Amino acid sequence: MGAFFTSRIVSDILIGAAQGVLVGLIALSLVLIWQSTHVLNFAQGAMAMFAAFCGMTMLEHGLNYWVCVLISLVAAMLLGGVTERVLVRPLYGKAEINSIVVMVGFLGILESGASSIWSGMARQLTSPLSQTYFTLGSKTLYLSPFSLFQIGSALTLMLGVAALFRFTKIGLQLRASALAPEVSRLLGVRVSRMLTLGWIISSAVGAFAAIIIATSGSGLFPSNMDGFFVFGFIAAAIGGLESPGGAILAGLLIGIIQTFVADYLSPSWVAFTPVLILVLSQLVRPAGIFTKNTTRRL
Amino acid sequence: MKITQILLRLRYSSLGRLVLALLGTVVAICVVLLVSAQSDTYIANAGAMTIAILGLSLLTGWSGQVSIGNSGFMAVGAFTTGIWANHHQSSPIIISLLLSILTGAIAGLLVGIPATRLKGPYLAGMTLAFVTAMVPFIQSLGKLTGGSGGLFFANLSSPSWFANLSGDPQNFIVANYRWAATVSVVITGVAYYFMSNLFASRAGRAMRLVRDNDVAAELMGVNLGRVRVGAFVISAAYAGLAGSLVALLSGVARADNFGLALSIEILSLLVLGGIGTLSGALMAGLLAAYASTLIAKLNALFGLNPYSNLGSNSQGIIFGLLLVVTMLTAPQGMAGLLKKISHLRARKEAE
Repeated sequence: MGAFFTSRIVSDILIGAAQGVLVGLIALSLVLIWQSTHVLNFAQGAMAMFAAFCGMTMLEHGLNYWVCVLISLVAAMLLGGVTERVLVRPLYGKAEINSIVVMVGFLGILESGASSIWSGMARQLTSPLSQTYFTLGSKTLYLSPFSLFQIGSALTLMLGVAALFRFTKIGLQLRASALAPEVSRLLGVRVSRMLTLGWIISSAVGAFAAIIIATSGSGLFPSNMDGFFVFGFIAAAIGGLESPGGAILAGLLIGIIQTFVADYLSPSWVAFTPVLILVLSQLVRPAGIFTKNTTRRL
Repeated sequence: MKITQILLRLRYSSLGRLVLALLGTVVAICVVLLVSAQSDTYIANAGAMTIAILGLSLLTGWSGQVSIGNSGFMAVGAFTTGIWANHHQSSPIIISLLLSILTGAIAGLLVGIPATRLKGPYLAGMTLAFVTAMVPFIQSLGKLTGGSGGLFFANLSSPSWFANLSGDPQNFIVANYRWAATVSVVITGVAYYFMSNLFASRAGRAMRLVRDNDVAAELMGVNLGRVRVGAFVISAAYAGLAGSLVALLSGVARADNFGLALSIEILSLLVLGGIGTLSGALMAGLLAAYASTLIAKLNALFGLNPYSNLGSNSQGIIFGLLLVVTMLTAPQGMAGLLKKISHLRARKEAE
């Protein structure tokens, strides 16, 4: 049994899953925004990075790790809400290109802004849990206390968001304002408030992923979310941008496939793998694997 | 009729467009020979940026596809030029340029065939994925591309007849700057001429129709896929040419320089100038020439150390802000504002 858990394939799956849940979280945060406001938030990764910087630099002042996480999440919610109110609100009903351009510009502002406030150097965040892998006998089992926390907390967060949308009154209002804003307004839902709330939730989910990525990986620096944002976008696009479950599943798969590619082929192909997966999935189902067919009106 | 009106009317005939491009190039060469060597380096780089902006203007403004991956195609062009220059030191630069156009177009075809099946945000996301994958990919080909350190080769140097012509034949440094700017201006003129013809051609009209109403375009017999991929390939070829020019001017090709930041810079200049108009692209090119000096002056005005965190990143912040503010307040850019002003003036005169 021990030999199975330490085999090359299971090791790759474990490492890949730990990466994949993070990709899934970012994909989920993109889908949340897309569903409610039909804006693809190109600044999602940068917003998460910025919020992570706001809280996690407090570590250097001797604050507890979890307090810093809390500060980051509050900063993310503020940033998400303000962004929706100030930048995104004027874009509703405008051409698609306008929102793409504005969000790309915001991405540039946030990354340069973070570099000028906190410098471009990577900061290592001291992990609250050990990152050394468990051992089974003499072999390594590719799980550590931190990666268990990583997978567990990501899954909890996903389930939490799902429960919020499914079982609460606020969730119902959020879904209603995404599906039929006019009708919801007539029924007394404060639609514009709901849209802002969607951005706030999404921004917090993204920031949580950014904190975990910075703690487990190469540290916190202004462009450290670029790669993960792209992977998250691809996962969301494979799911069709409409399906939270599909996005999470695609994210998990991307993480695992990337680890296999890095292990069995070459690490230099890792960056291109998700692009290829996206191309293939779009050739099979242009509307996304997990969406229902829709008709177009002329 | 006023001279400006005659000049503007010229663009409606193909001979007129040739005259316009020639006139513009000649004027630009005169400027190059008159201004300081320092300004010549700005003009030379602005030429390369103008070409990249023209390509993106076609793709985004005319075929309606937003790309933030054009700096990736510039990288393809730059490294083609670098690798070629290191293997064939004596070959004329026109071959480097043509090869870079070719490799840019091929890369554009490879990315474009799958990408143009996507729409709006999907396409933009795909080009973003392309550009973020491109930088580490080029760096991983260490033997061919010099890895993260980059590739070094001979940059443009003035032939002796030009050095004699441009005044002081002993001062090779100044002659080299003048020559580089002249070459850049001429290439930009040719690129502009081709684009202005394309804008006025049947293919250009087909692109506009695809952008505005793809169903109507299909009913008119326009092959949607071919038009979309075609626009993507031409835009990538322009980016390849721009990248080649950047490489020839500096003698270095480094993958880092062709990352997402450059794509954002091109996009902001394009939006600022005016998406989908030739005049907008030219104004954006002029802005590109003096952007870095203006930002350095701004830094000095606010007493910022250019090497401090804020000073070295102010350019990124300013470009991002310009992009956001222009899109929210005047989405047609400077070209749109000028048009509005001239319309207002014409109405006043009529009254």
